[in-house]
Amino acid sequence: MDRVASLLNRPRVYYNIDGVGELGMGFMLLGYALLGLLQAHTSKDAIWHTTYGFLVYLGVMCLVIHYGSKAIKQHITYPRTGFVAYRKRDTLWIPMSAGFGISVVMSAGLVLAARSKWNMTSLVALIGLAMAAMYAYRIATAVQWKWFVVLAMVAGSVLIAFSPAALLAAVGDGGREATATFASFAAALRLWEVLFGAMFMISGGISFWLYLRHTSAPARDIK
Amino acid sequence: MNPLIQSIGELDRVIHEPGRLMIVALLSAVERTDFLYLQHETGMNKGTLSSHLSRLEEAGYVEIEKTYRGKVPRTLLGLTQAGRSAFEQYRRTLKGAL
Repeated sequence: MDRVASLLNRPRVYYNIDGVGELGMGFMLLGYALLGLLQAHTSKDAIWHTTYGFLVYLGVMCLVIHYGSKAIKQHITYPRTGFVAYRKRDTLWIPMSAGFGISVVMSAGLVLAARSKWNMTSLVALIGLAMAAMYAYRIATAVQWKWFVVLAMVAGSVLIAFSPAALLAAVGDGGREATATFASFAAALRLWEVLFGAMFMISGGISFWLYLRHTSAPARDIK
Repeated sequence: MNPLIQSIGELDRVIHEPGRLMIVALLSAVERTDFLYLQHETGMNKGTLSSHLSRLEEAGYVEIEKTYRGKVPRTLLGLTQAGRSAFEQYRRTLKGAL
């Protein structure tokens, strides 16, 4: 039964066989970090502070991730190792429900943490550790070398927890946030986005390179 | 004879063959896939894989659609509802027996 269970997991792992999942995640995190930095270090009337500017930025980011992933899948992955269409239950309903649940829990946790005057950088570090645990469970158990990525995530989370004030100030907003609590949370979150975004991009890039190395391009018909 | 052990004799023999079990297990986790993916995952050669798929199609467990992507032919495969039910029943029976 263990062999059957591991077979059932294979298609899910296949989505990231070319590193596309991680590249998309890394691009999104770095994109959010860049937006945060632009908002923190530009004047209040700059486009990055407007709702439409934010929505356009988000829209462009999503389009790049969606069509970039699709292009890699259609032109590289599917011709080399085959095509998979996942069930809506696995690509839409479950992730949406899980995302909603996690958002509710995290929002409540943030409000509680802010009111209890917790150290917000430690809270962000905990988020990083939780992500490292999920990554270890879902991905590193299937692809052994990804344990190094787990170690990097744990190290990054510890770095965030003990990050010096100067580093937080460099990625923060220079004191323009409404409260000191929110300012430290925003700065720590930005640092988390940069570190984890870079980790995902590097890991996804390595996966992509390994995938190209270990698979062959389909033979072209000679006319 | 122990009824649990006896149930092993009632396992669906179409699915129980190792090659076909691999195919059905992989298909059960997705909506559809293509021939190349199954070949890549199972490590079977084209002839063996085709033979197993034909057997599964005869049993009504797999539907096979031959289509094109541009000018390149592509064979799409998916489990039918009967195939999904049969696989779930197979898993329950095997779990119960072991």
